[in-house]
Amino acid sequence: MSFLAPIWLVLSAAVAVPLFLHLLRRRIEIRREFPAARYLLRAEKENVRRLKLRNLLLMLLRTLTLLFLALAAARPIGALLGSGHVPTALAVVMDNTMSSGAIVDGNPLLSRLKVAARQVIEGAGSNDQTWLVTADGVVTGGARNVVLDAVDRIEPLGGRADLVAAITHAAGLALAADLTASTVVVLTDGQSSQWPGDISLGDVRVVAYAPTGNAPFNRAVTMAEPRPPRWSPKGSVLVGASGADSVTFRVTLGGRTAARGLLRGSDEQVVRLEPTERGWLAGAVDLAPDELRGDDERHFAVWVGDAPAVNVLPGAGGFVREAVDALVQSTLITRGSAIEVASVDEASRRPALLLAPADPVRLGAANRNLERLGIPWRLAEVRRDETVARGAEVDGMPVRIRFPLRPVAGATSASDTLATASGEPWIVAGPDYVLVASSMSTDATALPIRAPFLPWLSNLLSQRLTREGSGLVHADPGASVRLPAGVTGFEGDSQVFSVGGAARAPSRAGVFFLRRGEERVGALVVNPEREESRLDRLTGPELKARLRGSDVAVTSDPSELSRSAFDPSAQRPLQAILLLLALGCLIAEMVVVRRAEPRGLRRAA
Amino acid sequence: MPVVAPTRADLIDPASLASLGRIEIVARWVVDGFLSGLHRSPRKGFSVEFAEFRPYQPGDDLRFIDWRVVARADKWLVKQFEEETNTRAALVLDVSRSMDWSGSPERLTKLRYAEQVVAAIALLLIRQRDAVGLVRYDDRLRTVLPARARTMQWRRIVRALEDPGAGTDSRMAEGIQQAARLIRRPGIVIVISDLLVDQDEMERALRVARAAGHQVTVLHIMDPSEMELDTRGEAIFYDPEGTLEVTATVSDVRQAYATTVAHAIEEWRLRLAALGAGYEVIRTDSPFGVPLRKAFATRQRLP
Repeated sequence: MSFLAPIWLVLSAAVAVPLFLHLLRRRIEIRREFPAARYLLRAEKENVRRLKLRNLLLMLLRTLTLLFLALAAARPIGALLGSGHVPTALAVVMDNTMSSGAIVDGNPLLSRLKVAARQVIEGAGSNDQTWLVTADGVVTGGARNVVLDAVDRIEPLGGRADLVAAITHAAGLALAADLTASTVVVLTDGQSSQWPGDISLGDVRVVAYAPTGNAPFNRAVTMAEPRPPRWSPKGSVLVGASGADSVTFRVTLGGRTAARGLLRGSDEQVVRLEPTERGWLAGAVDLAPDELRGDDERHFAVWVGDAPAVNVLPGAGGFVREAVDALVQSTLITRGSAIEVASVDEASRRPALLLAPADPVRLGAANRNLERLGIPWRLAEVRRDETVARGAEVDGMPVRIRFPLRPVAGATSASDTLATASGEPWIVAGPDYVLVASSMSTDATALPIRAPFLPWLSNLLSQRLTREGSGLVHADPGASVRLPAGVTGFEGDSQVFSVGGAARAPSRAGVFFLRRGEERVGALVVNPEREESRLDRLTGPELKARLRGSDVAVTSDPSELSRSAFDPSAQRPLQAILLLLALGCLIAEMVVVRRAEPRGLRRAA
Repeated sequence: MPVVAPTRADLIDPASLASLGRIEIVARWVVDGFLSGLHRSPRKGFSVEFAEFRPYQPGDDLRFIDWRVVARADKWLVKQFEEETNTRAALVLDVSRSMDWSGSPERLTKLRYAEQVVAAIALLLIRQRDAVGLVRYDDRLRTVLPARARTMQWRRIVRALEDPGAGTDSRMAEGIQQAARLIRRPGIVIVISDLLVDQDEMERALRVARAAGHQVTVLHIMDPSEMELDTRGEAIFYDPEGTLEVTATVSDVRQAYATTVAHAIEEWRLRLAALGAGYEVIRTDSPFGVPLRKAFATRQRLP
């Protein structure tokens, strides 16, 4: 206990007054004639013990009264157990990530966390401020009932969200409230993947609740990837699951079961499919349910359409023509006019796979044609040097003759560099075009005679240069996503989400088709993070070590949590309590004195 | 419910009544009022010589109903007799200094009250043709008036009450013995005192009086302030008749004091009852009719 105005403690010297009066044999001046003095003497003798006790009690009460008044005047502050708690800014962080939906002992773990949260929040008083912060950063504040209702409405998220950011945000709220005490209560399952490192929360008290016991066993679909991303119309799905034992799986596509299978251990399996539907289809791979349902299903989306029609112009060269014939025979592409494969100087339109001319004298015609086609790249003077290509699918391919690619100054069209040679762009791509800086002849590059040539060409024609099926986006639940230009909303489960500019993915897993007006132009695939399926937990001391605050406590007991949430040891003004004690002493003294007074005399007084 | 002020003098506040006139006048009012309250002739009682009939009233002794008249005429009549006149009474009055005290200026002192009572009792007895004597004492016998039944006796008694007293001791035993000697035949001894005396000594004297066949009644005069300490604060309380001094805080001992007084009264009652003596506590704020009735009851108990 300390005092804000200790000078007033000198008043405590006044306690000597009743002591002095009690001990002093006073000189009484008043003499009264009283014939029945003998009865008075007898009364005193018979009640001497009771009178002494009464006088002692009165002296004690009067001394305490003065002492309490003197202490109250000195404005003490201190801890007083059992007198409630100081006004507290209480921010409750609820870890409602996907792992909190795991069933433990027959009930969802989140239910236990909600019960604990209710206990803590119900302990808050009218002088406290309370917030609820969920793992996805949603904050609910205000009256206690409002926060309790918010607790009841919490559902597990579809992913791992960002618990660390939520805790940091909660600490900021508690500190900004400018109350006597600030407490952050973290209710978590202690999943180790959620706690990558230490969290420094500043001068705030932190109390964490984490259940004890081992995490439940969990199997999860770790892989559900369509290959290729666009099917024409054949395709396959790469399926994988975590867990050591065998597990059956099911692949659904377009709402129908497309395949079933058995996965052994952590092997991956390719499931080949040829759907009859066309357009964007939603699919999923799911397992038999276990304790954590959220990751027993993984979603994917695929665009299914007819094979692209390709027209090969003579300038493309013999190797290309032969390769296209092979792809046509395997039904991966068809002959037609949708996509041109041609030398740069002879191409007439986009989409097109443009190959550098075999003859360097065609350089000028080639660049003019590039300008006509609106492609922001130009071919530079031919360069004959032995180099190798760097890039996906063509990495390490020898390159001997090339026309270094130069971007057009001021061009605004977005383009990608798919491969380089000697550090300069060798293959670039943009909307509806792919430009290769060498001709497909063995003099210029070894690519046409190498094994990757055919898959490379197939991928360019059926994936890169196909207009449809380019709007596939993957995102974590609740994460920010960059959507293709022109997208106006999500469509999924019959709901349309308005988006404008930057968008946030839904917090639940699933496939959400992208719309441009009434047209379906792509799909947003939301799946939980794979690390969220690892349910191994931190121990109490490990969790405590991760949290950095003014005072950190970790418990697995909900009642202890509610006790610890409010700091009873924090100092608070004790003036009112001391004044009440002084008043109590005065009342007690009055009662003791008046018990000896007849009613008539009391009225007269 | 409206409170009706009493019109009979024996029921009026004693201090108010005493302020209206001299002691003999007040005594006459009191006795007249008292007798009128008896609802019968002051000269008629239930003795041996028949006087007249009167209608039966509830409360009359059934022994005195004339059953023959009841049987013949179906009339309920009570026989009345001329009273005896040979009863002798001695009034023993304590006039010591402790009696000359009042706890409040609005009340009579115990002595003034007792003197008024003595005058009234004496008048009542003389009107009944009884012989009345008076003994006054403090630290010595102050007055000894032999019992007489003449009207002049009452005037002598009243005059004697004006004699000095207020000695610093109470020779009560001496007074009682003197009173017993005044009455040769068995009679009445009425002691009027605040009983701030030695109990054993008084008991011995009363035993002698009782052995002589006297009917003894002790009227214990107490000021209300002596029964309950109605003062406040701290003081040295001293006994005017001795050296006893008690320092006390009233609030501390008030309850204990009241209990002690109650025990003392009960002790007197038991001791005097054991002797066959009557004992009544009379507060000085009681109307004079109260002690008069007690004394008259003693007279009635005589054969």
